[in-house]
This record gives sequence, structure tokens and C-alpha cells, in this order.
Amino acid sequence: MAALTSVNLDEHLSKAGLAARSFARLCGTLWHQERLPGDLLELCRLTLARLHADSQEMAALNTELPPSPATAQRRRAVLEGTAGSDPAFSAADRAVLEFTELFWMDAQSIDDAAAEAVTAYHGEAGLVFLIEALGLIDGRIRAARCLRDIAALAGS
Amino acid sequence: MSRARASPPAARTGNVIRDSALGRVPETVEEIIGLNRHVWADSLVGPALLEILRLRNARTVNCVYCRAVRYDVARRDGLTEQKAQMIDDEYRSSALSEREKLAIALADAYLGFPAGVSRDLAAQLAREFSPAQIASMLVALLAFNFTSRTAVAVGGMPEEPLPVVEVSVAAVTGGSSAGA
Repeated sequence: MAALTSVNLDEHLSKAGLAARSFARLCGTLWHQERLPGDLLELCRLTLARLHADSQEMAALNTELPPSPATAQRRRAVLEGTAGSDPAFSAADRAVLEFTELFWMDAQSIDDAAAEAVTAYHGEAGLVFLIEALGLIDGRIRAARCLRDIAALAGS
Repeated sequence: MSRARASPPAARTGNVIRDSALGRVPETVEEIIGLNRHVWADSLVGPALLEILRLRNARTVNCVYCRAVRYDVARRDGLTEQKAQMIDDEYRSSALSEREKLAIALADAYLGFPAGVSRDLAAQLAREFSPAQIASMLVALLAFNFTSRTAVAVGGMPEEPLPVVEVSVAAVTGGSSAGA
């Protein structure tokens, strides 16, 4: 059985009813939009997983996206924390991943330069979308971890 | 006040979410409004408990707007201002009920680093809430946390606390959609 992570969280929240379904629909939009490439958003998820030091989240595969060799290489770099110096990442990629790290630390810690770097590549609406996406993905990782702990206790 | 990093849409619809910078992303904004509607109308715990989760999150994230708001449905459900003021560092020794204190503990578990629920808390939650209610509270936390962090990250937030103000839930769940 797959570990409970942000990737399969919705099936574990579904017992909450209509609000859970609505939340799942909102999160589903993240992987089917044109504001930011889906593989870059997936790298944001892995960045958050690394920052949370959540090994199960880091190992989880996002079934919303098709696997590709290029993604696998970039995935490794993000998980090892070397994306900042890896030539496989463009300046636009780095702007998004650096913003992700600041967002994770504290939304109040985001400086104007980091926000402007994202806006320069993706526009204001792209920045707003990225902020929404990070809030949703980070929240999913947190909720999955809480439910994982509760389930482990129930099973012990 | 911090600098706003994105401007709201020009058109006004009467919904505070749609009329904020989140309105710049039409493909998500209606789902966000729908999520707020379902959290307040269809959660498996009452509005007063939801408001406790929301205020605990607002305090941790330091969303100045969220901290100042009191939703009408929660006040009608018994969340007095006196109770709202108890959602602080000393909440464990406050007059809040056991369920209310557990809701705050769940919020802290979600918001902490690392996020996670201790064995003791898991056992207490299981005694007081059904699995569906725990899932429901987590969905509410997800919604409150995501929107408050978005508000802080987008910027334009006052730095000083604002006076407490009662707001109708309809302000975040209603209003006509853009172009409607």
C-alpha cells in the first residue's frame, strides 16, 4: 500500500464530504493549467518535501504527470539541494524554486526581489498562482503527515 | 504596510476573495470561493470550532486581516470575543472546552515543524472526534492556512493589528462571479 502523502491525500480526506471534494477539485487545477509548467510545480513539491525532511513525501511519485528522463535528473538535484548550481535549471526555474524556499520558511520572509524575479518570468498572475500552489501543496504535505501519524497510532 | 506584489482585478463583484489579487487567476478563484463555502456550510464540526482553527492559524501565520475578522456564523454558534481572546499561548489553562483545546492542538500539529501528531494527541483526538471530523478539521485548516499564507505572500498587509470586525461568511462565499 502506498504511503499517505500529498499525492494520495484526497482519498484519505474524502470522509470529510463536500468540503474535501471541493478541496480536491481546487488542487486538481494545479496540474492542468498553463501558468507554470507542471514539472516545475512538481519540483516545488519536492523542494517542500525536502525542507519538511519528509522521506515518504520525497519518495512519492506524482501520477498527475508523465515520467521523463529529464524530470528524473532534475528531481534528483532538487532532492539533493543542488538545483541552485545545476545547469539543468534555467534562471526562471531557479526564481521559482528560490521563492518556494522563502515561502516555506515564512510567507512574511519573502523579499521583493524574490517576488519580482518570479513576476519577471511568469507575470503577476503567475506569481499569484505560484503562491496559491505552494500554499496548497505545502498544506497537503502537512495534512498527510498528520493523518499518517494518526493512522499509525490506530494501527499500533 | 508591506508592498503589494500583485494588484486586484479592476472589476468589483462583492466577494472579498474574487476582488483580491486572487481574482487575477480565474481558473482557481471560483474553486477557492467554493471551498470556503463548503468549509463553512458542510464541515462536520460546528462554526465555532472552525473559527477557533481559523484564528489559531491566523495567529501563527500572522495574517493581520485574518486575525481581525470574526465570522458571524461562529459568533452565532457561541464563539464569544472572550473565547476568541483565549486562543493564545496560555490556551491550555483557559476556560476553553476540551474539544476546543484539542482543535487548537491539532492546528498546532498541522502548523508546526515538523508537522505531525504526537501519540498522546492522536489518542485524545480519537476519543473526542470521529475520523471524519478529524479529516473535516484538516480540510478547514488547509483552506484557512492556504488563504492566509497567500494573503501574506501577496503583500499589502498592514503591519499593526487591526480592530476586531464581524464579517458575514457571505462576503467570502457569495457575490456574483466576474462577468455575471
